[in-house]
Amino acid sequence: MENNENNKHKIQKPEYEIDTLTNERLLADHEYDGIQELDNDLPPWWKWLFYITIVFGVIYLIRLWVFKSDDMNQNKEYEMEMAKIASLPSQQADAASFEIKVLTDDASISSGKDIYDKNCAVCHTPDGGGLVGPNFTDDYWIHGNSMDDMYKIVTNGVLEKGMTPFKDQLSPTKRLEVLSYIITMHGTTPANPKAPEGEQMDWPY
Amino acid sequence: MALEKFTYDNKITKCFANATILWGVTAFIVGLTAAFELLYPSVNLGLQYLTFGRLRPLHTNAAIFAFVGNGIFTAVYYSTPRLLKTPMWSQALGKINFWGWQLIIVLATITLPLGFTTSKEYAELEWPIDILIALVWVAFGVNLIGTMIKRRTKHIYVAIWFYIATFVTIAVLHIFNSFELPVSLTKSYSFFHGAQDAMVQWWYGHNAVAFFLTTPMLGLMYYFVPKAANRPIYSYKLSIIHFWTLIFLYIWAGPHHLLYQALPNWVQAVGTVMSIALIAPSWGGMINGLLTLRGAWDKVREDPVLKLFVVGITAYGMSTFEGPMLSLKTVNAISHFTDWTIAHVHIGTLGWNGMLIFGMLYWMFPKLYGVKLYSRSLANTHFWLATLGMLFFAIPLYFAGFTQALMWKQFTVEGYLKYPNFLETYVQIRPMHALRALGGTLYLTGSLIAVYNLIMTAKAGKFIRFQDAEGEREVGKSDDHKGWLNHRKIEGKPIAFTVWALIVILIGGLVEFIPMFIGPFNNHPEVTINIDPYTPLELQGRDIYIREGCVGCHSQQIRPFRSEVERYGEYSKTGEFVYNHPFLWGSRRTGPDLAREGVKGGKLYKPDSWQYEHLVNPQNLNPQSIMPPYHWLATQDLDINSTPAKIRTMQRLGVPYPEGFDQIANDKLKAQAHIIADGLRKGGIDVEDQKEIIALIAYLQRLGNIKEPEFTVN
Repeated sequence: MENNENNKHKIQKPEYEIDTLTNERLLADHEYDGIQELDNDLPPWWKWLFYITIVFGVIYLIRLWVFKSDDMNQNKEYEMEMAKIASLPSQQADAASFEIKVLTDDASISSGKDIYDKNCAVCHTPDGGGLVGPNFTDDYWIHGNSMDDMYKIVTNGVLEKGMTPFKDQLSPTKRLEVLSYIITMHGTTPANPKAPEGEQMDWPY
Repeated sequence: MALEKFTYDNKITKCFANATILWGVTAFIVGLTAAFELLYPSVNLGLQYLTFGRLRPLHTNAAIFAFVGNGIFTAVYYSTPRLLKTPMWSQALGKINFWGWQLIIVLATITLPLGFTTSKEYAELEWPIDILIALVWVAFGVNLIGTMIKRRTKHIYVAIWFYIATFVTIAVLHIFNSFELPVSLTKSYSFFHGAQDAMVQWWYGHNAVAFFLTTPMLGLMYYFVPKAANRPIYSYKLSIIHFWTLIFLYIWAGPHHLLYQALPNWVQAVGTVMSIALIAPSWGGMINGLLTLRGAWDKVREDPVLKLFVVGITAYGMSTFEGPMLSLKTVNAISHFTDWTIAHVHIGTLGWNGMLIFGMLYWMFPKLYGVKLYSRSLANTHFWLATLGMLFFAIPLYFAGFTQALMWKQFTVEGYLKYPNFLETYVQIRPMHALRALGGTLYLTGSLIAVYNLIMTAKAGKFIRFQDAEGEREVGKSDDHKGWLNHRKIEGKPIAFTVWALIVILIGGLVEFIPMFIGPFNNHPEVTINIDPYTPLELQGRDIYIREGCVGCHSQQIRPFRSEVERYGEYSKTGEFVYNHPFLWGSRRTGPDLAREGVKGGKLYKPDSWQYEHLVNPQNLNPQSIMPPYHWLATQDLDINSTPAKIRTMQRLGVPYPEGFDQIANDKLKAQAHIIADGLRKGGIDVEDQKEIIALIAYLQRLGNIKEPEFTVN
């Protein structure tokens, strides 16, 4: 009798239909323009993925707000990065043995050309004829043509004229290499030479 | 209850479908042109209207709002009546929606190349168009809500939930991010300044992705995937959970676009955390899409519609995993400002958006015209071209992004930057950009094949405008089935549903913004504000910088990394940007950062003469440079009639120009211009005081210069 009642109930109002292809339960009154919905639970791996990302977030924010971890603060991260650099052997370690002189070996000249093409050619043109910056091929020099003078210029720049300081970009040796290359340009004939600037000077090399 | 008879009107669907095809191809062509401009700067033909800086916003707006926008309206206007068993509520609003939207797109294609832009990404259109967008969007929303009220079904289906979330959120985002004070009909200044503006912009920018490129597409997926596969949705429970968590979490994620930038640490952290938590809700959509195809995989092998859907949904899964990974600080430190981001968004647009929309069109056209698809093999060809195009687009760019970031960061053993010349890092990735252009070409070719196929399908049949349907009016019947979590109840109350969705999406934005607005600098000081407002000439120069879209390739934001400080100078501080309406931090460094371009003795300082020569012909100074020549700046006169109005607008925004400064601004402007031009003339450059280039040089030389900088760490 009881069994019969149950059956009757099921026939009148089935809670679920079954999707024949997957053998899963379809929700009874869920039908929209022919689209039905299955009553599947959330995939467990999906649930766990969600939980883990939430736990990650909680830990992340606790580290920021409660423990105030240094790696959560970008300014402190920067200080740490710079402190690490400071503890490395000094950039100027070889300063004692460093001497400002013209380098003549092929390796230095070819390295100098490489540096020149990447950094100097922009203003002085690839053949040294000058554009925004002065001509390197003629006998006229604005700030002197001794190696010491030129080393100072490439190191500290000439701000009022727009010459960039290269002390942060080129190591002392690299500066010597590029200057040594520039010296080789003297007397060559560039395609579009810039008019002479500065004073005529003797060529000391 | 008796069955009622009614008809669906396919007219508006057809209009939107045609528009999405037309604008899709347009967006691809503009994008491809921009890609070639990055390879050959002469592609703009020397025209100021076609430079990369002006085409980029045209491409992004066309792809997002014209192609995907019309695509989602196609889906909404087709599926909503059928899911609610009633025609759309108002034909008039539908027409306003359609023609208004097309008008906006046409205005965008005119104004963006002309240089009328707010410079805020994906929100570049100027204020009159912003107002038009708001009105058309409301017309769409009212029509959607009206249709829900008039519905016959008792409950609203998950696709409709996503449409609701789209409507309310885009309305909120668009209106708030577009707060701007007009200077003239074609020019306005953002109401927000500097870091605030950046926050609001990326809250908008990120959620334009979320609520324009994602939620409506999920709605589309929930209707067209089960229809095309003729299979039930995998899990109703998953729909509920992933819908609410997705819309709640997404809105918080904006700050992940600003990691390591001049923004409070806590906002960035919240952005990261919420982005990571988004993986599962996003994948919920992917699972419900892909697992709905269980039992139909044999059809997937055959049917180009399902193939496009499967690859599109997979692309969604990939990019929604990648996005959270890019939100991790350590990954972002590498990926940001590189091509990695561009690869990431194109997996989303070419894959997820493009393939779903084309899949929908292949399914819909035969229904609209009562015939079979003209050619299944052409559709298959399109599918392969689109898939290969996407891969050829993205994979080289991943490589390029990674390569360039590593080159930016590389130091020599002596402690110098290994690649101090920025251009070197660009030349290295140029071949990757060539491959990207190939990928774009493949994708465009595929879409042209699709256009042909769809036109031939339409020609073979006859447009079926009206479709008869019948249904029982279930609304008003009692809701005896409570369902899981009682969610069934609210599915029967669309207005309440809309209000709840609105509340849920407002939370994240409010929590992140309020601290930024009460005492603007309480939470992120770092620099005492001791900055002069821009001089009138610098302000005009800044507006030229905005007009030319310089921000599309040059950032103004130095992150606190040794490699960036070494390359560009002291890292950026929040307070420096306090008079910047709008902010110009940028998102991609195709060229070097310019935040400290004008600092004398700084890392990048160049004399006025260099700036002049470089702007007029960059290749003269760097043969490998891909910056287009801006020679028109040297021949066009600066419009100084606008100066007083610009100063007054800035005063209204709180920039402390003295009282009455607008009246003397042009005298100051002319005096400063004369000094700069005179200096150039002395150096042998033939230029007049009143040329635009003088103002731009003044602005560039101002960048990074703060009056008596007093950096104080809190």
